[in-house]
Amino acid sequence: MLKLFKKTKDKIPKSEIIIEPKELKTPPLSKCGKPLLLDNTRWERRLHKELMSLIKEPPPGVTVDTESVQQNLSEWKINIKGFEGTLYEGEDFQLLFKFNNKYPFDSPEVTFIGNNIPVHPHVYSNGHICLSILTEDWSPALSVQSVCLSIASMLSSCREKKRPPDNTLYVKTCNKNPKKTKWWYHDDSV
Amino acid sequence: MEPKDEEIMKQQREIEKEVCDSTPLVSEKISLSCLRTEYMGDDVFSAKIQDLLKKYKFIRRTRPDGNCFFRAFAYSYLEYLITNYTAYQEFRKLAESSKDKLVELGFPRFTLEDFHETFMEVIKRVDPDCTGAEGSEKLQNELHQIFNEQGYSDYVVVYLRLITSGKLQEEAEFYQNFIEGSFTIEEFRHQEVEPMYKESDHIHIIALCTAIGAGVRVEYLDRGEGSTVKAHDFPEGSEPKVYLIYRPGHYDILYPN
Repeated sequence: MLKLFKKTKDKIPKSEIIIEPKELKTPPLSKCGKPLLLDNTRWERRLHKELMSLIKEPPPGVTVDTESVQQNLSEWKINIKGFEGTLYEGEDFQLLFKFNNKYPFDSPEVTFIGNNIPVHPHVYSNGHICLSILTEDWSPALSVQSVCLSIASMLSSCREKKRPPDNTLYVKTCNKNPKKTKWWYHDDSV
Repeated sequence: MEPKDEEIMKQQREIEKEVCDSTPLVSEKISLSCLRTEYMGDDVFSAKIQDLLKKYKFIRRTRPDGNCFFRAFAYSYLEYLITNYTAYQEFRKLAESSKDKLVELGFPRFTLEDFHETFMEVIKRVDPDCTGAEGSEKLQNELHQIFNEQGYSDYVVVYLRLITSGKLQEEAEFYQNFIEGSFTIEEFRHQEVEPMYKESDHIHIIALCTAIGAGVRVEYLDRGEGSTVKAHDFPEGSEPKVYLIYRPGHYDILYPN
């Protein structure tokens, strides 16, 4: 009676562009026919809480650009340092987090921005990152902090600085929002 | 010509949207005989539905969004608890203390807190002691309303996913046996349990039922051999408080005669 789970994840490095269906103008209805009230205060409360924690106890090498957050709670700029003893030692990078009002049920949109986009097999030259927790493995129990840690660890474990094999084509044809890409996750062991 | 991947994905999203618009998160109680019409002309299923009708009268449908097991379980178990005050109190105590346990297991406190808070709020809103003469009918309506409000309903689902994940971690050695290949428990929890909309299998059910101490009977309506529906109790040998029907890919709530 007990079934076994098989690992079926595709490991071919590949990305595809998705064409987004048109957004609906009418607000979604709840089952009773009443318009669904999106709980604005709730996602804002959660973001405030995360921000406080990130300012008070930032993970090593991570700093929030509080000025950017003060202007707009739904867009955060976060600075992240390349760790000592890794290929990115001495380099500084900047991440842009964008949240919508379905956060934390919807994952944040996360990209590298600025002049220095890390040269890494999972990072496209336009700043898009191929990391499963940013799309299909996102969980509402994850946070800005855990995303930063995953990205830092992704950089630290890199053994050869190079772009993804499909970089040129992807950068030319992709949507601005990396969440509109159907990612085929690259092997984690890179 | 083969359809392109992007077309398939677009179509899939349209289907998901249609499902979302047409099915409430949890439906009213419906006579189980409705399944007969649904599978008219299907001999295997018709025979099995006939068998199921001997034991069950009603079905309550849940939205097929990948969260159906967790939503169905929570609804049905709370429905049982509002009629059993002792069990309700015990569960409330367990729910209250579950947060510290998860923090101890290494779940981040500040994301956990939000979900735990809402989970407790839902439990408190259906406290059987707080109703007057109208009693359980009023609670029943309250429960139904809460579970159809996405804000509450989804928070409950997340919290149950975390409890399930916590149990898998706590007894990783045991649960590793259910997983084949190079998937570690750690990967499985992060990829198949904690994210929303990921479907549940036996391993999720066993972990959740064990963590909460609630027996669940699942009736399997599938293309398996015979003309009777096979049932399975989780954990094995327990007395079921929650009855679910499983059709490939989906769970709904059942009501025994």
